[in-house]
Amino acid sequence: MESAPSLYTIRLDGHLGPTALSAFPKMVAQETGPDTVLTGVVEDRSALFGLIGQIEALGLELAELRRLGPRKQSPVSGDGASPDAS
Amino acid sequence: MTSEAIRTPGAPAERPQPPNNSSATHRMLERTELQATLDRLVTKRVTIISACAGSGKTSLLRAWARSQGYRVAFVSVDRDRADGQLFWHSVLDALGAPASAGRLEKAEAGSQLDADSVIDRVLSGIVDLAEPVALIIDDLHELVSDETLGQLERLLVNLPRSAHAILSSRRDPRLRLHQLRLAGEVGEIRARHLSFTESETRELLSASGVALSDERVAALWSRTEGWAAGLRLAVISLEAHPDPDRFVEEFSGGDRAVSEYLLAEMLDRQPSDVQRMLLRTSLVPSMNGELADLLADRSDSERILLELEDTNAFVVSLDRQRTWFRYHQLLADFLRLELRRTLADEVPELHRRAAQWFADHGHVLDAVHHLLAAGDWQQAAKLLAEELFSLTLDGQQAAIASLLRSFPPGASAQDSDLALAHAASEMAQGRLEEAAAHLALAEAGLDSAPPERRRRLETTIASSRLALARRRGQFAVVTEQVERLCSSNMDESGDAAHYSALRGAALTNLGIAQMWSGQLDQAERHLSQGADLARRIDRPYLELACRAHLGFASLQSFPTARERSREAIALAERHGWDDRPLVAPALGTLAATSIWMGELEEGERWLQRAWKAVAQDLDPANAVLLRLIAGILHAARSEHQRSLEELLLAEESQALLEGEHVLAPQVSAWLASAHTHLGRPDLARTFLAGVPPARADTGEIRAARSTVSLAEGNAAFALEEAQTVLDGTSTVMHAFTLVEAHLIAGRAELELGHRSEAKAAAEAALAAAEPDRLMLPFVVTDALALLETVRPQDTAHRALLIEVREVLGGAPSARARNDWAASPEQLSPSELRVLRYLPTNLTRPEIASELYVSVNTVNTHIRNIYSKLGARGRSSAVEHARKVKLLAGARAQ
Repeated sequence: MESAPSLYTIRLDGHLGPTALSAFPKMVAQETGPDTVLTGVVEDRSALFGLIGQIEALGLELAELRRLGPRKQSPVSGDGASPDAS
Repeated sequence: MTSEAIRTPGAPAERPQPPNNSSATHRMLERTELQATLDRLVTKRVTIISACAGSGKTSLLRAWARSQGYRVAFVSVDRDRADGQLFWHSVLDALGAPASAGRLEKAEAGSQLDADSVIDRVLSGIVDLAEPVALIIDDLHELVSDETLGQLERLLVNLPRSAHAILSSRRDPRLRLHQLRLAGEVGEIRARHLSFTESETRELLSASGVALSDERVAALWSRTEGWAAGLRLAVISLEAHPDPDRFVEEFSGGDRAVSEYLLAEMLDRQPSDVQRMLLRTSLVPSMNGELADLLADRSDSERILLELEDTNAFVVSLDRQRTWFRYHQLLADFLRLELRRTLADEVPELHRRAAQWFADHGHVLDAVHHLLAAGDWQQAAKLLAEELFSLTLDGQQAAIASLLRSFPPGASAQDSDLALAHAASEMAQGRLEEAAAHLALAEAGLDSAPPERRRRLETTIASSRLALARRRGQFAVVTEQVERLCSSNMDESGDAAHYSALRGAALTNLGIAQMWSGQLDQAERHLSQGADLARRIDRPYLELACRAHLGFASLQSFPTARERSREAIALAERHGWDDRPLVAPALGTLAATSIWMGELEEGERWLQRAWKAVAQDLDPANAVLLRLIAGILHAARSEHQRSLEELLLAEESQALLEGEHVLAPQVSAWLASAHTHLGRPDLARTFLAGVPPARADTGEIRAARSTVSLAEGNAAFALEEAQTVLDGTSTVMHAFTLVEAHLIAGRAELELGHRSEAKAAAEAALAAAEPDRLMLPFVVTDALALLETVRPQDTAHRALLIEVREVLGGAPSARARNDWAASPEQLSPSELRVLRYLPTNLTRPEIASELYVSVNTVNTHIRNIYSKLGARGRSSAVEHARKVKLLAGARAQ
């Protein structure tokens, strides 16, 4: 994933106030139950660990980190879709 | 997360011991149980405290350190000073064993001077304390270098019984301590141990005078999960709150992320002018009252900061006098975000103010950084160009290079100040063509510069041109330029400091240029003058530049050359500059002299260290030196093909210089020798014939020719040619060429059947080799047969003769054998045990751990082994030991 941008969701415990939100300008925040979910395109691996570092620095609790896509292209299938995709 | 400013300016260079002031901690809870746990764990060799920011690690450590009866060395890793050299300096300082301690045994050689020697030093420092010591390393997560972590690992594994390490980190450290763990020597404190219990929470609240119902206390504790920073933040808010119970109700009822909520609340509680101050000062990593006043538009910041420190743990003073402060990282990051969010349009002005303050106090790099942050890049460029000379003399090239990257791309084409800065940076990285181009740009812009700045810019440009000429080997140009530069500034009444620095740089470049072009006496004189001047004006980097070359310039006497080179390296180490290209000549000199004295392994280690140092920037003059040494090393080991390859590379580097390198005759001579040894004396002869006329007449080339003649079977001719070296009609760089010539003459005489003349020549060779103990000429001229004409009892150079014969692999004389036979009784069993490890690649700490003794014990044994065997280094000790079958005996132990 080193240099290809990917879509990520990051789930944090609790709701974020405006100050904490300003630390993630490239992400969209949604309050989902007691948590906050940040969604956005992360440019590369270095940016990803930068985000994680920012979360650590603010003392926030990381509950879940998920990459939504794209997956690595397989050399056989032409469009990169997984075999199970309908 | 980006850090908003570079390094802490003005604040004390070393991180201080934990402050003694008790007033700052009267609100902190005495966590006696936790301290007792730590007490227990500390009996193990290593204790690791791993928990996230704000868990109370540092508070615990500081409280614990204060309460200890025995000595504590406290090191806080600063994000901006986290490189290996600086880290180890802090450790040594904290142990009270300054890095420049000369009493530590002279390191074996270049090898892992950076690794083992540092660890040796720290261990010696610990042992020298002669009392138990706790070494605390706080903020270990800031240490990111794998190399430094590896060194730390080895240190921990070799800690003496009297020392205990406590490491504190926000994340589990990447240290491999398996063996220690298996031995039960690693203790751990984690977040769950640090978190406040419910009763501690109650205690904290009552100590702060906050009244809460039991239910609310439980709720507060549960919501914060006992997180120390959270509780302290809550207490600050609660103290000022009219209805504490409601605060807790709102806090625990809501969904807000704990840390941010509490930080925001805490900030809200502060009076608005204090809030303003907190936000505006978050721009800099640390501040004193004056700087804070400037940023916050007030006059009593110091008082506020002191008060804040007294009442909570979020403001910390950095020095004993409590004049410099910084915020706890959690608060600082929060404040910066809040500043950008709420006072965004004030930010550039704040940066400008900070820049002004830094510039006024001489912290140029920080000033430039803030100007760039404010968007004033032209101002930044001006300031940088003005101070460039000064910064370069202080060895700040890396910092300059990184700042240059923050300028808008393409800006240097329009701005001659910036062009000048780029030129200096490129020169430091060895990109001479680009540097020349940028200098030209800078010069072109001079006319449009205001007159009061023009003089200074002119001299900076002239000085840069000088350095460039020297790097390109335009040695004659350098001399000329220096004279012009110095005379044109003679009546400069303006800036005395600037003039001295300029003169220092000029002397340095002149000395170096003279050295590489072979005028060694002049070089020595100018370099010494340069070093003295540099020391007087407190420019250690410039002093280092001179001293690093002084060794080579003193090559006439090996002991002097070695001593001066070692001095230079020690100076470099004190400042953390010993891996810079600048020290290459000193390392090279040590390598070369070692090899000439027959210590091949030591020489190789110095050489490898030199190669590491020039990795970023290999200047052709240094390249010639290092490749020649590599070539000679291979030749000494009879690896003639590889020798040839290195020497050809040396020739290539020499071709990049516009003047003749002082070592050029050597390179050619060794090249010819390599061809000869590879069975192609014809190639050697052709090659020598093609050498430029000036070089062709040197003693080195004449000696090379005579060697070829001898290989071709023409002894008479060889003898004649050797005489031309010995009759004093040619110049030689060093006595080793004379030794060679004597040996060739001797071998020729032997072939011609003139035994007594041969013996006289051998004797003369020994005499010439004695002062500097030159072994190499004997090896490369295959002098064994010649040396057999001399009997030890007949010569004044008995010891040298015996040693040479040993090295050449001949049987020692009967008398020598008797001498050695006495040895086995003299080595003690422990010494024999250590001796067994000498032929291996194990370092001293590794040997110590194999034998379950301390490194100092190993060091003592090795010292004794050397003196008993009359050896000067590891390899000769091994050789001697092998000769008398000591090793076989030792193995049987």
